[in-house]
Amino acid sequence: MPDLLWFVIRRLFGAALVMLALSFAVYLVFYAIPADPAHLACGKPCTPDRLEQARHFMQLDQSAIQQYLSFLKGIFAGRTFGDGAAAVHCNAPCFGYSFPLARPVTTLILDRLPITASIAIGAAILWLLFGVSLGVVAALNRGRLLDRLSVGVALVGVSTPSFLLGLLAILVFGFWLNMVPVNGYVPLTESPVDWAWHLITPWLVLAVLQAAAYIRLTRAQMLEELNLDYITTARAKGAGETRVVVTHGLRGVLVPIITLFGLDLGFLLGGAILTEKVFSMQGLGDLLISAVAQLDVAVVVGVTLFSAFLIILANLVVDIVHGVLDPRVSHG
Amino acid sequence: MAEPVLEVHDLHVTFTTEGGLVPAVDGIDFSVAPGETLAIVGESGSGKSVSSAAVMGLLPSNAATTGEVLLDGRELIGLPNDELRKIRGNDIALVFQDALSALNPYYSVGWQVAEAYRLHHDVSKKVAHRRAVEMLDKVGIPDAARRVDSYPHEFSGGMRQRVVIAMALVNDPRVLIADEPTTALDVTVQAQIIRLLDDVQEEFGTALVLISHDLGVVAEVADDVLVMYAGRAAERGTVRDLFYRAAHPYSLGLLGAMPRVDVPPKPRLTTIPGTPPSPGSIRTGCPFQPRCAYTHLVGERCITERPELTPRPGEGDHEAACHLGRRPEALL
Repeated sequence: MPDLLWFVIRRLFGAALVMLALSFAVYLVFYAIPADPAHLACGKPCTPDRLEQARHFMQLDQSAIQQYLSFLKGIFAGRTFGDGAAAVHCNAPCFGYSFPLARPVTTLILDRLPITASIAIGAAILWLLFGVSLGVVAALNRGRLLDRLSVGVALVGVSTPSFLLGLLAILVFGFWLNMVPVNGYVPLTESPVDWAWHLITPWLVLAVLQAAAYIRLTRAQMLEELNLDYITTARAKGAGETRVVVTHGLRGVLVPIITLFGLDLGFLLGGAILTEKVFSMQGLGDLLISAVAQLDVAVVVGVTLFSAFLIILANLVVDIVHGVLDPRVSHG
Repeated sequence: MAEPVLEVHDLHVTFTTEGGLVPAVDGIDFSVAPGETLAIVGESGSGKSVSSAAVMGLLPSNAATTGEVLLDGRELIGLPNDELRKIRGNDIALVFQDALSALNPYYSVGWQVAEAYRLHHDVSKKVAHRRAVEMLDKVGIPDAARRVDSYPHEFSGGMRQRVVIAMALVNDPRVLIADEPTTALDVTVQAQIIRLLDDVQEEFGTALVLISHDLGVVAEVADDVLVMYAGRAAERGTVRDLFYRAAHPYSLGLLGAMPRVDVPPKPRLTTIPGTPPSPGSIRTGCPFQPRCAYTHLVGERCITERPELTPRPGEGDHEAACHLGRRPEALL
């Protein structure tokens, strides 16, 4: 296993470099936009004096490079804006400070993460089970009704926008049938039942939409797999059809599925923007959208970096899982 | 001669394809007794492999098999899949041509050999594992106790084929069908594998059906030979009948195409002119007629009438399906 350890260390080091480059790029973009966050902080009426004061307090009067370096330094050492009684502290690791929300970005992200993670992980488990099993069923019944039905479901799922399906689900299950709550979030620690009950609709909506890709990929992969010689070997050994499909066929199917799954989940953990909006849940996606609207640069940079980190992390996990699933993959 | 363990009578295999019905095997008979080796010889597409798959009931669903396949007098054709499953790998085992694709890349070789054992024996994983080590050792894998946990890609081609043979022999099958077991191997390794098959046959008294187009291999190990052409038997007899008294022009063509050490080398190897017919394209007459150098000695009959197997001089049941009554020596 030392091979694997080295592999992870190398990849984490690479990830840090990518994050650094990315943070720089995100900073540049937000310097290019023709708007001044200090204007919003200064309020109305805004005198040039107060504008200057706000700018100084938010450290926007420094040069772009200097601001970027302060940001980097804040990650390791924390930052303090202003001085005296009015000073604002942002403890390490400080990924910026949101003046409109008067909170450090790190705190904001950590506050919102459980909501997004609840949505994303629950939905991901559902769509993985749902997608892979329907895909296998479709492959085993190739050309027959069950196959067409599964592929049909996949097609509908792929082509439906999430806000439409989300709103329809709220309308039907929330209002007409009055089965589930229409919005809101209850923390898991408060009441696991209420937590799941509030999340079931967004889970199902996301699962239906995402499962489509998994149905199609699983089906195609399984059809290919079932034509391989070692499947015939398994039959020739006297293995039953279930064993042939599950033990011998599914292993090869899971390799590409896990790749897709890791990236999808990593992406979704960075904020399920539309779903959070539709179901009025204050997750990371909601945080990001509000921040963009308010030119809250610190939050935008923080959330963007966090999402990027999740994608990189997902890639790393996928690579490790690959090595576990497929002995031919070497991490050396 | 001992009672045959496997008898095949009038075996027909017809595939239903988009282009209509394709007869891949068109009425063949063979039998093999314990400790004996029957070689089935022929070009690609002559129906050799389809016959062996038909015996195991391993053909795809678009294939229709008729005739008799008797294992110890028990009819296998039409047996429910559950019953067949108990026979596959237990009474009749298969060794495939390409050991790399015949082994599942996701599982260790020991696991795969142990699986074959556990499918037919109600034993613990530990016992099956021990049995796997024992078998791997028996087929000549050095340091089997350590190599048992290696994966197929970590073995050389010859070692992989040994694993496949170990997997096939783990349940002491009565019949071993080896489908071109040496084709994918180097010549020196070929010799080792053939010797191994010969040894295990002697030790276990297995009936061996060797499917091959390598007459050198056939000469070395076979007792009886069946020469197939276009899904039918062209000639059958003992190995000496074939090599010293071949009566069918196709058999002669195969023998003539073989490089020999006792004859001064020709600048080019002799070939049989033309290509084998695709299954389904033969209507009347002798299937070999378009490529036959002796048609002029017989005339019309070759085109209008299909030759049946008729007795020829030799050691026993030497038969050939050719209108040319005497041995066509002139062109040897």
